[in-house]
Amino acid sequence: MRKATFIIPAIVIVLAILMSSVFIVDERQRALVLRFGDIRSEIEEPGLNFRWPIIEQVVLYDSRIQSLDTAPIEVTPSDDRRLVVDAFARYRIIDTRQFRLAVGNGGLREADRLLEDILNPQIRAVLGADGVTSNTILSSDRAELMQRITAQARALAEPLGLDVLDVRLKQTALPLQNLEATFARMRAEREREATDERARGEEAAQRVRAQADRTVVELVSDSAREAEIIRGEADAERNRIFAEAFGQDPDFFEFYRSMTAYERALTGENSSMVMSPDSAFFDFFAQPGGRAPVAVPAPVE
Amino acid sequence: MRCALRGAPLEQQGVETGMAGNSGGPWGGGGGSGGGGNRGNGDDNRGGRRPGEGQQIPEIDEIVRKGQEQLRVLMGGRGGGSGGSGGGDGPAFGRGSIVIGGLALFVLWLWASVYTVAPEERSVELFLGERFAVREPGLNFAPWPLVAAEIVEVTTNRTESIGIARSGGGDAGLMLTTDENIVDIDFEVVWNISNPEDYLFNLAEPEATVRAVSEAAMREIIAASQLAPILNRDRQIIADTVQQLIQDTLNSYESGINVVRLNLDRADPPVEVIDAFRDVQAAEQERDRLERQADAYANQVLAGARGEAAQLLEESEGYRARVVNEAEGEASRFAAVLEEYLQAPDVTRTRLYLETMERVLGGMETIILDTDSTGGVVPYLPLNELRTRGN
Repeated sequence: MRKATFIIPAIVIVLAILMSSVFIVDERQRALVLRFGDIRSEIEEPGLNFRWPIIEQVVLYDSRIQSLDTAPIEVTPSDDRRLVVDAFARYRIIDTRQFRLAVGNGGLREADRLLEDILNPQIRAVLGADGVTSNTILSSDRAELMQRITAQARALAEPLGLDVLDVRLKQTALPLQNLEATFARMRAEREREATDERARGEEAAQRVRAQADRTVVELVSDSAREAEIIRGEADAERNRIFAEAFGQDPDFFEFYRSMTAYERALTGENSSMVMSPDSAFFDFFAQPGGRAPVAVPAPVE
Repeated sequence: MRCALRGAPLEQQGVETGMAGNSGGPWGGGGGSGGGGNRGNGDDNRGGRRPGEGQQIPEIDEIVRKGQEQLRVLMGGRGGGSGGSGGGDGPAFGRGSIVIGGLALFVLWLWASVYTVAPEERSVELFLGERFAVREPGLNFAPWPLVAAEIVEVTTNRTESIGIARSGGGDAGLMLTTDENIVDIDFEVVWNISNPEDYLFNLAEPEATVRAVSEAAMREIIAASQLAPILNRDRQIIADTVQQLIQDTLNSYESGINVVRLNLDRADPPVEVIDAFRDVQAAEQERDRLERQADAYANQVLAGARGEAAQLLEESEGYRARVVNEAEGEASRFAAVLEEYLQAPDVTRTRLYLETMERVLGGMETIILDTDSTGGVVPYLPLNELRTRGN
């Protein structure tokens, strides 16, 4: 009974000391063991580790890839156009000792700040370098520019114990003031295109109409010519027939045709005729013996 | 365990406080995980926790004592005999309680070590913090405290939408093309996890990383493209290229993330200029309309002209037929009359003359005026009067 009262607390205390001297470093972590502020060891591999209770402290660091998004900055490429650029970086802590020395107690938040201070001048430097115009940034050379920024940032971040894996440009936009001008230009381009479309439409329509009109005239005049030719042939045929028929006796034809003509020409409602009794029709009117015929009088219309 | 995925005290500051708490006293075992989240408050917590736990200890004692009594009854011993622990019976009851206690501890340990994994999940086991194994869905066993399991939803599709904020008025989806035009792009990246170990151990902020990588990739591809093809025919090509670029970048981080697909929801001109783009479409339609109208006119006019031409030709053919027929008719009539005339020329001639005159003069008003009888006086003939009377 007396023993138990002492043994149980003793076991508890020993266990507690043992527990506090054992710590697990996760796959995602690295650790620094500090003895009164002095860095005693760096633990790079995950697993079970030991420390002296009370006198040693363990600081764990996240060894996963961290992300950093920079605030937008305005850069001036060598063609003096201004662009708003922001980037993101991916980095991880590789050297916990360096990191602790460089960043102090601030942790990753401080590291973000330091890295952004490194990145922004590098972005400006690379994007403002000779031969880098806004056209270069807005082209497939962008990947190469990003690699340059990454390489330079990596070199500068190494003393911080950081490995910069990747720096990528996100936004490369126009400043707000230029945005409206760009929109206006885009609108103007579209208007040009629209006007061009309409004008071309009218042009094509007019061309089609004109061609149609021309074809109409051609067709009609062509067939008019054909028609005249046919009529001419017809008239010629008629003349031939008449000549053939009437040529048999021109004298009788003259008489016969005259008779036909009188009949056709003078038969009508509104004709009246003033005749002399001397006319041939009246040969037997006064003298039953007859007399020589005279010319047929002219009709009065 | 599932909440440990995100809530794990991985910010080194918090962990530092936790470890400091650990070394502070016997209750540090609990403080290691509990104190991790609240940095800087470690001292207050430590001060406040002790009284609470001090109260709990008598309760536990009471439960233990009750359990002991019940046990004694079960084992056929003298029930309810002692206020303290009986001296003589100590060993018998002690052995039993140790067995029962051990059993209870074992069950408790089993309870802490056995866990289930749902079909869409995988479990990553850490042996003393070191990567150890990936477990399939089902019942799994991770002996506490040596092995810790973290469960990750693997096959579930997760979606990051990028550029949607544009509707709110920001310029999130506005991207500059290589011809310095601006295009408004909304897209979604659907992803899941191909390698749960890499996913857990390599990326601190997976969602933010997917977002940032996607946006950067899209902007990179857009910055190298012309505006016009983006809007229509290159959409699928762009979606594929960007998806590939996102996947490559994520692979370079060994992120264990698989991009399932990329939905290019919208690739439009910005709202500020969309009217102008629509007007171009309208103009294209109008052009088409004008051309079609002209075609219609041409068709109509040409058909009319063909008809007219045909009419002219047919008319002339008709004329030919009429003229020739008439001529032939007249000629044959003349021939017939001529034949008769030749039989008796004088008679026929006079007869024809008279008959004609008869028909001609019979149908008209005839005034016979004897010029000889007027004797040189010009006769007055009121032709108009005569005519009106005739009517």
